[in-house]
Amino acid sequence: MLLEEYKDLADYCVAEARRLGAEYAEARVHGGKGTGFLLKNGEPQPSMIDDSFGIAARVIVGGAMGFGATNLLSRQKVKDLTVTTVKMAKSSAPLVKERITMGDSKTATRKLRVAEKEPVEGADPNWLKSLLLEIDRSVVKLEAEAGGVRIPNRIMVASAGVEEKYVVTSDGSKVESRVPRFHYFGILTALKGGEAAQRMIQQGETGGLEIVKRIRLLELVQEEAQTLVEVLGEAEKSPTGIMDVVLSPELSGIAAHESVGHPQEADRILGREGAQAGESYLSKDSLGMKVGSEEAYVSDDPTLAHSNGYCPVDDEGVVSKKRQLLVGGKITEFLQNRSTSSLLGVKNNGSSRSAGFDREPIIRMSNTFVEPGDYATTEELIKEVRDGIYLKSFTEWNIDDKRLNQRYTGLEAYRIKDGETTALVRAPVLEITTPALWGSVKGRSKRLEFEAANCGKGDPMQGIPVWTGGPDTLLAGVRIVGGS
Amino acid sequence: MATMMGPDESNKFGVGVAKRLGADEAILMTGISNERMARFANSSVTVTKNVKESGQVVYLAKGGRRIIGSSSNPERASLERFIELLYKSMMSLPKDEGYVPLPKTGHTYRPKPSHDKKLESAEGLLADFVEEAIGAAESAGARRTAGSLEAGVISHHMMSSTGTFGSDTSASILLNIRAFTDKDASGHGLSCSSTVRGFHPAVAGERAGAHSKMMRNARQLDGEGKTYSVLMSPTVASNLLGMVGEFASAFSVEAGTSYLVDKMGKRVASEAFELTDVGKGDGCLSARTFDDEGQPTQRTKVVESGVLKSYLHNLSTAKRFKAKSTGNAGLIEPGPWNMEIGAGDSTYEEMVKEIKHGLVLTSNWYTRFKNYRTGEFSTVPRDGIYLVESGEVKAPIKGIRVSDSVERMTSSIRLLSKEREWVQWWEVDTPTLCPWVLVDGATVTKAYGESPPQGS
Repeated sequence: MLLEEYKDLADYCVAEARRLGAEYAEARVHGGKGTGFLLKNGEPQPSMIDDSFGIAARVIVGGAMGFGATNLLSRQKVKDLTVTTVKMAKSSAPLVKERITMGDSKTATRKLRVAEKEPVEGADPNWLKSLLLEIDRSVVKLEAEAGGVRIPNRIMVASAGVEEKYVVTSDGSKVESRVPRFHYFGILTALKGGEAAQRMIQQGETGGLEIVKRIRLLELVQEEAQTLVEVLGEAEKSPTGIMDVVLSPELSGIAAHESVGHPQEADRILGREGAQAGESYLSKDSLGMKVGSEEAYVSDDPTLAHSNGYCPVDDEGVVSKKRQLLVGGKITEFLQNRSTSSLLGVKNNGSSRSAGFDREPIIRMSNTFVEPGDYATTEELIKEVRDGIYLKSFTEWNIDDKRLNQRYTGLEAYRIKDGETTALVRAPVLEITTPALWGSVKGRSKRLEFEAANCGKGDPMQGIPVWTGGPDTLLAGVRIVGGS
Repeated sequence: MATMMGPDESNKFGVGVAKRLGADEAILMTGISNERMARFANSSVTVTKNVKESGQVVYLAKGGRRIIGSSSNPERASLERFIELLYKSMMSLPKDEGYVPLPKTGHTYRPKPSHDKKLESAEGLLADFVEEAIGAAESAGARRTAGSLEAGVISHHMMSSTGTFGSDTSASILLNIRAFTDKDASGHGLSCSSTVRGFHPAVAGERAGAHSKMMRNARQLDGEGKTYSVLMSPTVASNLLGMVGEFASAFSVEAGTSYLVDKMGKRVASEAFELTDVGKGDGCLSARTFDDEGQPTQRTKVVESGVLKSYLHNLSTAKRFKAKSTGNAGLIEPGPWNMEIGAGDSTYEEMVKEIKHGLVLTSNWYTRFKNYRTGEFSTVPRDGIYLVESGEVKAPIKGIRVSDSVERMTSSIRLLSKEREWVQWWEVDTPTLCPWVLVDGATVTKAYGESPPQGS
């Protein structure tokens, strides 16, 4: 295994950085292998095989942080990398006004290996191709009874790969991990007359190729395609105004991710991402602040089995744990890494991750979700609504960079009348502030479901696998505006 | 001991391995990058970075089958094993309907190196530039700043089994700085250049600082869902209108992820709008002499006088569209290299005077599409946002969102500025030379609910 071959280089890098005067040093051999296949409108594109491996060095010298990375894995190249990284950190020290320390987080020595029944390594591109062709055929088949709706444009990408890491730190962490993943991404475009509806579908888990059956990928994509047919064929104009809104697990999840998870990343709160991903409406003194109702509970849990954001030990060699972000509407915890927890004088909850060997570890969410509630079923929750909207899936969404002003445009959305869903409605828009959204939570169902996503942050940009999820969540008296 | 190879040696070796295995065609492209970065927040450097990478992209074809691989291991035995794996995987696949043979005659590319060599070892410059940018922002009124400064050189080396051989090198230095006077008052500045000489950190810093000062006491807009004329800075216009370049990819058109489907030769913008893709030229931040299929890059007019003139093609899409490759491969998906939006003849001041009821937008982020097929999107303006009434800037504004479609916007362009700037940053992947652009009729919305008071 390649990782085994290069572990000694990581150990050497840390020792060399310490010899050169680093107060803290960390090295990470990081890479992976994967196979991908892309189908465009039913036509196979060339298969893609990826094999990428390299080493990252991170040091603290005189209170300044340096990061370096290379895929040139000889001892001399790693020595050169370490020297340059230490030198650059040292020379930047005069411009460091806020001295960086890595604190005294509890170190970990661990070997992690995610189990897989059907190995993803060396996945046969033919198998991926056949899988996508089968899904594609099942979508095309729907056109026969679609009342004139066509689905001529279908992008489908399936990828299977293994991520391997070895993280070693100067204070004693040594963590080795092997995480296999399967991921699906698709865009379906349905047309009727001059109108178009489009759905992006993303699914991903850690584990082997058995994931495909476990998540019912074929049926799931087919159901999404059927929804597009119905949206174009049946959806009525959406009502607008103040009303009750039920968010599905998909909507609950994206809201939890965007307006609870992100603003509670300590590096944003401290301003470190100010020029790119932005800051936060919260300050370091916001713990205990009430931003939601008694029913608002949001957590982030990197230890969930099969999860897309599975990361039980972070990339700074610190054990991760479930983080309770919002409890009864109160902010109870931020996502922390070594330096932010040290600066804020709190316990590190191990939230540092990197997307590849050439990216520094930064604070990331893992699997962020609204906690399930007491209502047994979706229907039971919907019974609470006299006149409102059930937002089941969304298309466009965004939020300002302080995480206060967000927007979710519904794709599959239903009018609720007297406790029951009635007609499909077209593109209702929930555009709402963070306190208004979480302050309006009135109830939650018991069913907990997750969606895969790639979360972007950092500079250079790092897309990292996460889950977003939750139960059905009832928002009382919020405003819906009409989309096109 | 592992045997590392230089890029040309690696490519030659890889093509040799592919031929030995029996491949009809092989392309080996090695990319070598050397990047330096300094990031700062609260006017304090948070990290310096140095990243040296070398990666190979391998394309093989045999009997109508194709496969693509990417590897970061330049060691001889590893590359050989990787190509053997690719070949074996390819041979297990059926023929690929989209396969188009490479042209029988190859090209040789030996451009005279024209990149700024000072950017090859820029770490000594970073600290001074960061200090200059922060100092200028603070002099203009900022209480604190955050940003990143990145200098990099990337070279591409290619060899194909059909005789294409060559290399080129591109360099850039990019500063993105944001200044704050409080949480609701921020400004943004960029300086993006292919040379140290053309790089102006103090100008970017001063701009960010000045906006952060002007944005103090910003207020919410009155009313809801109204339309405004919007005067977009090059930063905003390159994000929203530069996307036409992405939509012009023939792959996106085929995939239905473009509103430019069936629009060839038709009007897609006001007559004032011109969009050109540029492979290599003065100032290009991502200059390429040849594309990933070894075809020469060129200047391609995508939109001329508001009419869609060309999609961007690789060999495969060109065949299906009965067109010629525009030198924009992507082995699977063609895409733009550098975009130029044509200049107008107005000054910024003249454009503001032309606005009866509108907004000046200086930066934006988080643009997301409701539907790529229709081009409908929304985006969140940030940093300097100003209400303009009867030709005069009246007040700083906060908490808005622009919700529109790309085609409606390009079709409602009234004026463009004479001056243009290169833009590349978090929200703009493809380097874009862009003017200020005045567009009428943009829908502006705001969120429901109160916001908590913002401290500093």
